[in-house]
Amino acid sequence: MAYAYLFKYIIIGDTGVGKSCLLLQFTDKRFQPVHDLTIGVEFGARMITIDGKQIKLQIWDTAGQESFRSITRSYYRGAAGALLVYDITRRDTFNHLTTWLEDARQHSNSNMVIMLIANKSDLESRREVKKEEGEAFAREHGLIFMETSAKTASNVEEAFINTAKEIYEKIQEGVFDINNEANGIKIGPQHSTPGSPGSHLGGQQAGGGCC
Amino acid sequence: MNFLRGVMGGQQTSGAQQSGTQTIQKLCDRVASATLLDDRRDAVRALKSLSKKYRFDVATQAMDHLINVLQTDRSDSEIIGYALDTLYNIMSNDADETAESEDENQQIAPDDLGVQFSETFINQQENITLLLSLLEEFDFHVRWPGVKLLTTLLKHQGPQVQQTVLVSPMGVSRLMDLLDDSREVIRNDGLLLLQQLTKSNAAIQKIVAFENAYERLLDIITEEGSSDGGIVVEDCLLLLQNLLKYNNSNQNFFKEGSYIQRMKPWFEVGDDNSGWSAQKVTNLHLMLQLVRVLVSPVNPPGATNSCQKSMFQCGLLQQLCIILMATGVPADILTETINTVSEVIRGSQVNQDYFASVNAPSNPPRPAIVVLLMSMVNERQPFVLRCAVLYCFQCFLYKNEKGQGEIVATLLPSTIDANALSAGQLLCGGLFSTDSLSNWCAAVALAHALLDNATQKEQLLRVQLATSIGNPPVSLLQQCTNILSQGDKLIRRGSKVQTRVGLLMLLCTWLTNCPIAVTHFLHNAANVPFLTAQISENLGEEEHLVQGLCALLLGICIYYNDNSLENNTKDKLKQLIEKRIGKENFTEKLGFITKHEFYSKAAQKPQPTFSSPDHMLFDHEFTKLVKELEVVITKAIYKSSEEDKKEEEVKKSLEQHDSIVSHYKSIIREQDIKMEEFKQTIASLQSTNEQNQSTISLQLGQIQQHKDQYNLLKVQLGKDSQHHGSQNSTTQMNGFQPEDVSRLKGEVEELKRQQDILQGELSEKNVLIESLQQSQVDGQTDQMTEEIQKELETLRSQLHVQSAEINRLQAERMELLQKTETSGSLSASGDSSVNSQSNTEMEQKVAELLKEIAGLKEHLKNQSEEKSSWKQQLDTAQSTAAILQDENQKLKQEVTESKKEQDDLLVLLADQDQKIFSLKKRLKELGEPVEDEDDMESGDAGDEDDIDDDDEDDVRDEED
Repeated sequence: MAYAYLFKYIIIGDTGVGKSCLLLQFTDKRFQPVHDLTIGVEFGARMITIDGKQIKLQIWDTAGQESFRSITRSYYRGAAGALLVYDITRRDTFNHLTTWLEDARQHSNSNMVIMLIANKSDLESRREVKKEEGEAFAREHGLIFMETSAKTASNVEEAFINTAKEIYEKIQEGVFDINNEANGIKIGPQHSTPGSPGSHLGGQQAGGGCC
Repeated sequence: MNFLRGVMGGQQTSGAQQSGTQTIQKLCDRVASATLLDDRRDAVRALKSLSKKYRFDVATQAMDHLINVLQTDRSDSEIIGYALDTLYNIMSNDADETAESEDENQQIAPDDLGVQFSETFINQQENITLLLSLLEEFDFHVRWPGVKLLTTLLKHQGPQVQQTVLVSPMGVSRLMDLLDDSREVIRNDGLLLLQQLTKSNAAIQKIVAFENAYERLLDIITEEGSSDGGIVVEDCLLLLQNLLKYNNSNQNFFKEGSYIQRMKPWFEVGDDNSGWSAQKVTNLHLMLQLVRVLVSPVNPPGATNSCQKSMFQCGLLQQLCIILMATGVPADILTETINTVSEVIRGSQVNQDYFASVNAPSNPPRPAIVVLLMSMVNERQPFVLRCAVLYCFQCFLYKNEKGQGEIVATLLPSTIDANALSAGQLLCGGLFSTDSLSNWCAAVALAHALLDNATQKEQLLRVQLATSIGNPPVSLLQQCTNILSQGDKLIRRGSKVQTRVGLLMLLCTWLTNCPIAVTHFLHNAANVPFLTAQISENLGEEEHLVQGLCALLLGICIYYNDNSLENNTKDKLKQLIEKRIGKENFTEKLGFITKHEFYSKAAQKPQPTFSSPDHMLFDHEFTKLVKELEVVITKAIYKSSEEDKKEEEVKKSLEQHDSIVSHYKSIIREQDIKMEEFKQTIASLQSTNEQNQSTISLQLGQIQQHKDQYNLLKVQLGKDSQHHGSQNSTTQMNGFQPEDVSRLKGEVEELKRQQDILQGELSEKNVLIESLQQSQVDGQTDQMTEEIQKELETLRSQLHVQSAEINRLQAERMELLQKTETSGSLSASGDSSVNSQSNTEMEQKVAELLKEIAGLKEHLKNQSEEKSSWKQQLDTAQSTAAILQDENQKLKQEVTESKKEQDDLLVLLADQDQKIFSLKKRLKELGEPVEDEDDMESGDAGDEDDIDDDDEDDVRDEED
């Protein structure tokens, strides 16, 4: 299908915080209550529309377990966006955010948009991490913040789309080098916009990629 | 250089081995101890040159030193290059090793040597990390041997090296960068490296895919000329296969990345086929295999299905079908294309329908299916091609009731077309040909037309065959059993087992789950004795499979028996088994099927693959059927007749249950439908609701606009009222704000007050005028005052009317205000229809009111004009009154003057009276007679006095 841009995302965070469920809810609009441990990395994709433009999201859902950490690190560099997920009913998953963030900052390109996701907002009765704490952490580290529920689908769309909007804005501002596919952004085959900022070479690139 | 020459020279002389070892020792020492880089470099270069011939010695003595060089001399790419080359020579088994024939270690196989040395090297994990970091060096002399060395290490110690690469943060992406190297040698060797790297490691495969491998590899394939390209294309395809095979995540990524579309041009091979080089055949073969990887029957059904869809949508399937029907295509490419088409259409209705519509470009055009079947039943075609056609036919019929019906229909009397060669005719021809392979293939193909399709099983019973002229037609079923029972004759035809196995599989499939077919089969009295004879006979091992299949067929005749034939009821058949065969014997024979050596292989995957034509015995779908039936038939045989009856009852009750269940199912279905309807109505209601809400918001906006307009009007009117005088202002207002109303009220009050003042003034003036009237001598003034009074009276009444009107308008305004408030709240609550109605009402009212207001304004204007004219009149009246007063004053003055004169006259009169009286007295004294006249006169004068007095009083009154 034709798209204007392609963004690569990764989803990271402790095991069991609901990364795979977020992806499943976003791509298939369903919820899988049984925890099926992700092995390594799984792939999912969906088309969204921002500013009237079709944008393809390719999402790599990573395993949260420590033993897979070295594998998942290989995905940071090529991603344009990252969803860093914790579980509001488990404080330790919130406490580990700093480690995750350091890891991400170290291995990713500096422009990667990171969104902090506080998942399982439907389990209010078991909440251990206040929304304010998440917001404060996000503010402190310059992240976008959102509370979601993969189960009820609350804010799931928004989480993925807002991240895409942020990336899109960065492209418009010319922050991202869209000619380097290693940044996790690709211009669509039919999309040649010599007028858009920072893409004076983008047209050639797109021309080369379409054949 | 002298030194080197010496080394080489020494080597060529006698005792080369000895001196070689010593030289290597010396070189190692030099590498370790030399302080000058040049010396070290020369030593490593010398080691490199010796590393092929004295592989073992260099490896054992120099490896540590070489690794040390890699660590310490990174700045000099030349020495690093030599070191890497040396290491590569040590590890690689490809190098020519004939020189080592006299090696003392020749007992160690060279393959093992490479593995051993590799193990030694990677024992230190840092060595691989070091190697990875060296690959970042752009210098050709470093990068190329580095790539080769790592490839060799991966070949020998794959899993360990993979693990190390995986945990080093940028490991894989660094290796991926090799594909972008402008030097083709490095890019091509990079491909080989990645091939080794991705071998059976899903995690690495995924990372490589993530690093845009598809894009890069497809670009390289295109650049190199697709299938016409060289070995690089082959390497790319092999790497792609590594990435995709059995890796669902990567397959999904491939599909989502729209890369299937990019595969289509690969298959645009010209029809002229001027040259089919070996490389082109290999490339196309791999391309076809790549397509098959994506639609393999072992993939998750959803994944395969979506790939099948996009292959049809992008025209890839169509392109494959063109190759299928093209001429001059090499047989193995054609075979693989058929297999590929098979898997692209398998279980996908759209693709199956398309395939059924494909025609061969012959004259007249024949359906592709017919053309393919012709090859299947043609003895001269290659075996693999015939298998591929069978597979294609099976895939075409897989989960395709429509296709099954179409195939069977070509055999039915009503639809048969005598002129054209049909699929059914070809299958029948194959079934009864002298070629056992054709028999088997045709039987299996026909069985697939019946799989899980009760309708077609019954339809096929209608098929009649004309065997030879003069004989009556025979049913297809009968003909099959005839051939079976004439097994003796078939011996002459060669592999009779294959034929009989094929026919038995067809019969088993046919009779399963079809009591009518069972009845037909049992109706032929010869069949049961034949089966029992086959089962009970003690035959050789090669007949075991046929015996097993006969047992299975007999079992099916029992299990799916509806007891409609008196001689062959379930019970009677079971008794027969007990008496003639024995239950134990029967189940043993039945077990022969699954115990057969080819059974499990066929059960593994749908594609029929056989190492030789003789091994063509089992069909995949049939193995599934056997698995299901073996258990139930064994149970059925061991059950007593009583149990059977019970079973029957249970069955009946089950049927009842079934009917109940089906009843409920239908209810559920109905409810589902209803639910769907409700959902739809809800959806439509929601949409209308949304529409309504949007109209509400629109109307709210309009209301707001109206309000704004009103406010504007108000402001304008306020200005107007300033011009027109305060009396008018209130009536012109039509705002909805309470403060406006209160303001208006205030204004009305003000108006009233002014009115009161005016009235007071008027009454005062009235009094004045009345008093004036009384004193008026002039009639004109009197009239004028009266007129004014009247006018005032009318003015007053008009004012009353106006104030009443004002009150009424106020009330209306209040009403309107309330209405707008209620309508506002209504619209907020969302009852749109009512709201919109009220809105229109409102709008109408507003319009009316506006009109009324305009009318009133006009009216008021008129009135105010009238009023002002009245005022003018009043003023003129007042001024006339003032004039009159003046005149009055004058008159009074005149009156007083005349009074004075009167007084003077009276005084004069009194004087004269006195004179007259005195004169009369004198006359009387004088004796003159005095007339009465004088008395009269005096009497008159007295009267006059009285009148004057009265006049004086009046004037005095007036003066008061």
